[in-house]
Amino acid sequence: MSAELKELESILNVTLPEKLVEEVLKVEEGHFDVLCTAKNAYDLMKIFNEEAGIYHLSTISGIEKEDEFNICYHIQHRIEEEIREVPINFIITKVDKKNPKSPSMFDFFVAAEYYEREIYDFYGIYFENHPFLQRLILPERWPDDVKPMRKEYSWEQVKEITMKITKESLEDK
Amino acid sequence: MKKVLVMGGEALKNQAKGPVTKHVLKQLADHPPPEDIRTIPKIDEERCIMCGTCINVCPTHCLGIEKDNKDNGMIWILRPQCMWCGHCQTYCPKDAIHIDQDATLSYTLFSFNVRQDFDMLVAKGSFKGDVADKKLQELIEEGGKKLKEIEEFRG
Amino acid sequence: MTEYRSRFRSLTDGSDAPEDADHHIFIGPQHPWAEEPAHFIIHLKGERVVEADIRIGFNLRGIEKAMENRTWRQNVMLVPRACGICSAVHQNVYVRVVDRLAGVEDQISERARLIRMFSLEAERIHSHILWYGILAHDAGFDTMLHITWRDREIIMDIMEDISGNRVNYSINLPGGVRRDIKPELVPSVRERLKKLRKQVEYHRKVFAEEASIRNRLENVGILTKEDAKKTSPNGPTARGSGLPYDVRKSFPYELYDKIDWDLIYYTEGDVLATTLVRVDETLVSIDIMERCLDQLETTQGELLARVKPRIPAGRYMARAEAPRGEDVHYGIADGTDTPERYKIRAPSLGNIDATLKRMDGEYIADMPVILRSYDPCFSCTNRVMIINENTGEKMILNQDEFARKAIKAKKYNRPFF
Repeated sequence: MSAELKELESILNVTLPEKLVEEVLKVEEGHFDVLCTAKNAYDLMKIFNEEAGIYHLSTISGIEKEDEFNICYHIQHRIEEEIREVPINFIITKVDKKNPKSPSMFDFFVAAEYYEREIYDFYGIYFENHPFLQRLILPERWPDDVKPMRKEYSWEQVKEITMKITKESLEDK
Repeated sequence: MKKVLVMGGEALKNQAKGPVTKHVLKQLADHPPPEDIRTIPKIDEERCIMCGTCINVCPTHCLGIEKDNKDNGMIWILRPQCMWCGHCQTYCPKDAIHIDQDATLSYTLFSFNVRQDFDMLVAKGSFKGDVADKKLQELIEEGGKKLKEIEEFRG
Repeated sequence: MTEYRSRFRSLTDGSDAPEDADHHIFIGPQHPWAEEPAHFIIHLKGERVVEADIRIGFNLRGIEKAMENRTWRQNVMLVPRACGICSAVHQNVYVRVVDRLAGVEDQISERARLIRMFSLEAERIHSHILWYGILAHDAGFDTMLHITWRDREIIMDIMEDISGNRVNYSINLPGGVRRDIKPELVPSVRERLKKLRKQVEYHRKVFAEEASIRNRLENVGILTKEDAKKTSPNGPTARGSGLPYDVRKSFPYELYDKIDWDLIYYTEGDVLATTLVRVDETLVSIDIMERCLDQLETTQGELLARVKPRIPAGRYMARAEAPRGEDVHYGIADGTDTPERYKIRAPSLGNIDATLKRMDGEYIADMPVILRSYDPCFSCTNRVMIINENTGEKMILNQDEFARKAIKAKKYNRPFF
């Protein structure tokens, strides 16, 4: 574990304090996984953005496991001289299922605004300090408390809700 | 006056040339579709062993099967739902099903009736004849019921 | 970052518009076969844009949820239907994720990889030609639309001979490819590629030197390099502003590091720069296709390696360079034959922030060109409704009328209304 941490530190030219990082895994040559918990995520992302100079965010994906949520930020470290990119999957673990909350990374990446709104729509995770956390993708008449990508809703239930709101909108006209 | 003459001349010329669609049809005839264009599946009766792999791999669930423990059975397809992908041909263990043998199907196959256009692809052994025909009728009737439900929903 | 916060207004009635705006415009959601149909809300003062905002979500089909009910083998044919034009790229990334999770990455032969690259580059060519034809139509130069789309038929005929279909090629399968390029087809393909190259060089001459197109596109909607670093665009939108990153060069896949090709980028940052990036990339793609054909003559190999239906547990992220940008897939497997979670991000979603930043301070008559520049696909069925906030009167225009009024305004230097 610490060998990969040292390799990541040498590529980024920065020191990552041990208490913030939970684990560093190597997926393949030049492709890393960094795991950390929700309490330390903001400080660790600050180090990545301000000291190591990472500015490109590709996307954010939400994952549901049996007793927790995971949020994965896919960021790319760009090395200017060789035109090479090092993808880093920044995974925030142990987001509680009954009251899901996580710090928002809008201060570091402007593009995080749309992706975090999408995860709020689909999974119900609340991002603190996000300036405009509102519905992005789901249709207007969708009920507010049904979060479709969670495992408790099957495909048939989602289809029923869609037919119901279609019927309502046809009758309104 | 001069304008009328010019426009009249053009109109006569276009009348003599004929409708433009003639040229389009000629161009289509000069460039026929290639020999191995992808169309809907056809099953060779000798080689099929009724294993059911093509049913499991189909992404749109348009194939259906009914069989018994021996080598008898029948396979049907809902033709408008097939998306001509070719998975059944790739994963068949006996190379019995083909989608790229009949190039004329690619421009003669069209159906407005998305729920009732069933076709029996193969019927082997004891399922030949009456059993296959009866099953086809049942499927078409069920499709008709679904059509009615959709019409009622639309109001 | 406060300049980005001022963009968040409430959604469609515009009742809390910024103080110095006096109109607002909706550019509506209905347009077929686009990855991102969108509803733009633009606040104006006189002729200049004060702010712009967007609503998306009209094309939600629930593909990610549907993929959790189907097996890995069935999903190979569901994933390319996520997009109409970049279908080969989505299938390629999916197949690379499955190859890596199943452990068959080293068993794929060189011949299969070359055929995959061939179909990817063919798709890039036909997508770029489509895009700059429609851009010429929006800028008022209809002749280029007809000429470029006539030349696009050449590449569609080539791919129909090879893969059996004009748009959804579906050649990639986990473990290799499904069809082979027959040796008797190769001479006619080479001849047609030569003809296509001459035509694309003519297109480049028109876009770079013709005065009427340059007048519409030059110095319009400038995105500086610092703004590009803050809003993270991807693909030709970023390469037109001086960020020289292309996934094929910076994290290569599928033998792109063994073939010699050039990376295109410009530094001016206006809409003409993104156009020339795409036109030059078309020429580079024709080069790569010819080199693939040369190398295919001498390599042999089996086309499809065997992959079991159950994929062992693991997770992997893969990316590719679609014609519109950077395409990201993230797949998690759990040992059964259905995926546990599969995430797709199409490239246009990441370019929206950069496009909204481009609109600040520009004229309303430049809107069609700027909205076309990040490569979505608006079409004739959308409507533009202009509401005058002081008197409450409404004026409804559709896409063609909007574009025509914009063309007249720029040509004669006249106000838009």
